[in-house]
Amino acid sequence: MRTLEQVHATVKIAKLKEEELHPTVHCLTFGENVASGDYCLLELDSTLCARIEAGHSLTIRGDKDEHAVLCTESKTYDLRIADTSNLLLFVPGCNTPDQMTGDQTHPQLVHSQISGFSNSYWEVRPRRPKLKKLKKLLMENPYEGPLVRTVEDSDQNSPGYTMGDLLDRIQASEVEIIAQLKNIHACEIDGYWRVLDFDYEMKLLGFVTQLVDSESWSFGRVPLDYCLQELGPLEPKEMIEHCLNCYGRRYIDEGGEVCFALDEEKVCQAMAQMLLQNAVKFNLAEFLEVWQQSVPEGMTTRLDQLRSLALVDRTSRPETISLLRVEDLPEDTQERFNFLFSMREKWSEDDIVPYIRDLCGEKQTTGALLTKYARSSMQNGMKVYNSRRPMST
Amino acid sequence: MVQIIITSVEGGPAEWLLVELQGEMVARQNTGLAKNLMGDLHFTNEGVPVLIVGHHILYGKQVKLEKPFAVLVKHTVTPQGSEVAVETDSERLTRYTVSALIKKKLIFKTRPKPIITNVPKKV
Repeated sequence: MRTLEQVHATVKIAKLKEEELHPTVHCLTFGENVASGDYCLLELDSTLCARIEAGHSLTIRGDKDEHAVLCTESKTYDLRIADTSNLLLFVPGCNTPDQMTGDQTHPQLVHSQISGFSNSYWEVRPRRPKLKKLKKLLMENPYEGPLVRTVEDSDQNSPGYTMGDLLDRIQASEVEIIAQLKNIHACEIDGYWRVLDFDYEMKLLGFVTQLVDSESWSFGRVPLDYCLQELGPLEPKEMIEHCLNCYGRRYIDEGGEVCFALDEEKVCQAMAQMLLQNAVKFNLAEFLEVWQQSVPEGMTTRLDQLRSLALVDRTSRPETISLLRVEDLPEDTQERFNFLFSMREKWSEDDIVPYIRDLCGEKQTTGALLTKYARSSMQNGMKVYNSRRPMST
Repeated sequence: MVQIIITSVEGGPAEWLLVELQGEMVARQNTGLAKNLMGDLHFTNEGVPVLIVGHHILYGKQVKLEKPFAVLVKHTVTPQGSEVAVETDSERLTRYTVSALIKKKLIFKTRPKPIITNVPKKV
């Protein structure tokens, strides 16, 4: 082992002045397992660093043919390898002068071992979670109500996916998955997450709105108990309450009763989807009339409620409307733009924004996306966007 | 799909130092680097790191990392007492533990200065 005398001898040979140097010297040697390659470096942002310092764990998720992502409980990051032309050595227990404590006057030799080295590291970048797969998985076996026994129930080992199963398959954090389950109106039945068959969901909503109408309630005050009492004989109470949770906001009124305020926008959207899904396109004027009639008394339908749900064609005579839901579109940004431009050559900003808003990363705007993925031009005094690539029609 | 867990230590991991060098390190006698001396690390009174490696002196800089690193160690665990032959990678569980955090580095970017010894006197 190297001694202090040897170190000082080297300092002399190197023509360094001892009095200009800090008295503590580190003698660095390579550790036994230094070349084993078992170490790797992960670059952190402040959020990840804080989580690690608090003792929490992180999870890497991905299929063999997917790019891996890194997840905390609530965020998702892209994970990529970055190479550096430099050599990175990691040394435990090696203090820099600002960290040194104790006697700073007498010469000291500290033996430090280099435990590993690398010339690459993992880079992380925050990304939006990949959640499209979630609905796809749950749609394998939608819940159609208690009376319908699907064939799969008896054939498969399990009728669905638990949260653990979902975490095993979806490249997203748990918090993001839970938020998406709420978005798609999924509910947990017997420990399995289930999405409702659309017709069944509309059946439930229909029972609720018909009750509101027949009782002449304001749709802002739907009492839970009475609802369950009246509709309980028709459908499971949990399903009635689930429907109210999906389409309304729960609160307690002055009398201490649990009530729901139905959300006008959500109800109108559901009715529109119900009408539009059965045809390729609808005469716009006819649709608007039927749509208004289909919603509960007191609710007002407005076209802007259908942004990201339906697309109006104002160039056709008569004007038409068709179902186009953003959740049915490709998840990858370039594929999404390709799809939209293959549907329609030129888009106004107003029309296209609802279908690209979900693609925005942190601090990214739809404007930035359009600049990158589309080309703009003027048409009839209005700015329109088309594809950057030649599209085959 | 795979889920690979990276576990940290309760109370947070220790802090290590990163030393960044340009170029490669090769052992003199092709014996491999393990257990060999790398060099002496000095600091000047102004806090400038100085590395003496072999016949070279390198002057460096202490830099606080904008993005800290976590040093991960890989563990591959085969299921114990498994009677089925391990055929695919998916049978083995991979996990990582965080050994340390690195928040600063000593970077040596300047050209190493050779140490001249035994300058023969002109006869």
